[in-house]
Amino acid sequence: MNQILLITDGCSNVGESPVIAAAQALAEGITVNVAGVIDEGSIGEHGATEIAEIARAGGGMSRIVSSRQLSATVQMMTRQTVVGTIRQAVNQELQQLFGIDSVAALPPEKRADVVRVMEDMGETTPLRVALLIDASASMKPKLPAVTEAIRDLSLSLQARAGDSSIAVFHFPGDSDREPCVMDCGWTEASARIESLFGRLRMRGTTPTGPALMRVVGFFNETCGKIKNEPARPSLPGGRDDTDGVRSDYVV
Amino acid sequence: MGCGVITSSDRQLQPGTVLRGKWNGRSYRLERLLGTGSNGQVYLASSGRTACAVKIGNESEELAAEANALKSLGRRERGRPPFLLDVDDAELRDRLVPFYVMQYVPGSSVRSYLKRHGAQWFGVIGYRLLLRLAELHEAGLVFGDLKNDNVLVSDYGRVALVDYGGLTAIGRSVRQFTEIYDRGYWAAGGRTAEPAYDWFAAAVLWIHALDGKRLMSLTRSSLPQTRSWGDLMALVRTHTVLRPMEPWFERAFTGRFADSREACDAWRACLHRSDGEPAATVPGWMTGLFVFSILLFASAAAYWLLQ
Repeated sequence: MNQILLITDGCSNVGESPVIAAAQALAEGITVNVAGVIDEGSIGEHGATEIAEIARAGGGMSRIVSSRQLSATVQMMTRQTVVGTIRQAVNQELQQLFGIDSVAALPPEKRADVVRVMEDMGETTPLRVALLIDASASMKPKLPAVTEAIRDLSLSLQARAGDSSIAVFHFPGDSDREPCVMDCGWTEASARIESLFGRLRMRGTTPTGPALMRVVGFFNETCGKIKNEPARPSLPGGRDDTDGVRSDYVV
Repeated sequence: MGCGVITSSDRQLQPGTVLRGKWNGRSYRLERLLGTGSNGQVYLASSGRTACAVKIGNESEELAAEANALKSLGRRERGRPPFLLDVDDAELRDRLVPFYVMQYVPGSSVRSYLKRHGAQWFGVIGYRLLLRLAELHEAGLVFGDLKNDNVLVSDYGRVALVDYGGLTAIGRSVRQFTEIYDRGYWAAGGRTAEPAYDWFAAAVLWIHALDGKRLMSLTRSSLPQTRSWGDLMALVRTHTVLRPMEPWFERAFTGRFADSREACDAWRACLHRSDGEPAATVPGWMTGLFVFSILLFASAAAYWLLQ
């Protein structure tokens, strides 16, 4: 299961439309969620519309929140998207097999069984979340909240039984040719995320669309590789600790 | 990994509304709203002449998952009266809403109980709460969303847990939690369901119940990158009622109990030790007088020698 989470505070102003980029992501099986962070002032009608449109095109959800609410919102959106994706797949199966349109139409006992399977899937399906952070000048005071939200999300993902990983990107990139920069490739460890934005140079442009496209490309490159790896048997609880990453947080 | 901060703002249903179960055929008359959780509302209701609590959810799957957890609780804790009584759907405002029915548990939240009956009750309530948690843990489950609102206290400090939305099998990720009770928020560990997760929340509960004002101002003022359980420990050390329990809190925050029974025993040990403590320590005024008399003696001796 693949997701992109875009955290921004305004409108794109360079390059292709982020709405089209989000639609492309969805077409490739990646859901796009958007969190708009506003502390003072308002996001403007144009910005709010764009945020909602990107999420709609990307099959995900959007929320406009203050930096205090960011961690909880990021958690909620990631989780709801996992649940939603599974629900969609299960409902499709039910439709084909029994001709009913949703789990809610089943009698309570059968529903209980189906929901148990859905919960299992939600907990064990491999999950990859790429975070794309708007690092334009106006976002600077919000970066501590963003770092905290990323740390918080990775903490929750580590607790899942299934494989979970996070990658972090920010935009704009250092040069005009590079729409975004990768801060951290797929990782399970939150320790690596702590000092992400230390050497960040704030620039004026907001190439949201091209940056989104770049991250979709990253999914293509890396997830192809991941599929070629020999499938690891999913142990009960899934924590085989082969990479020694998890041991540092178990108390 | 749900977080209890985001709450639904569904409209309240009128008392007297009757829910008629579509599948099992039982009816429930709603009496009053008991509380609003992160994913639904709980009402006091009556079915015939017996009182019960009805939870009406917003999402069919989410509610069914919760009912599943309650059912597994009933299966794993044999010998206790069943907590989950019915699961069904009902037609309300032209919409099919899912609901489940639980035993009604009377009582008030920990904070309001202590306000009414006095802080000295915290020892008994805390012990009973840890015993209840130990039962759950021994059944292979973690409560998860332990907080003031979810612990109901009735006569003479009897304790019941309500709202099992966070109930999680050990080893899974905690299904639902509340930020300030979450050990991840205080950089004290992960969100895997294990007994230590509940111990941490239980420790925060006592700070919240007895020193809520300082806890809230701490969460407002602390920065995420420096926030740690040490800040909570500092509150414990400077609170008159909590200070004698310091060893227990330190172990609860760091998860250093062998199991939940040991957490109970350590709580009891701290309570009994703190009973004897006031007699053992010397009151401040006595120390003051002693110092004063030494000074008086010294100055008298000096005066005599100089003479």
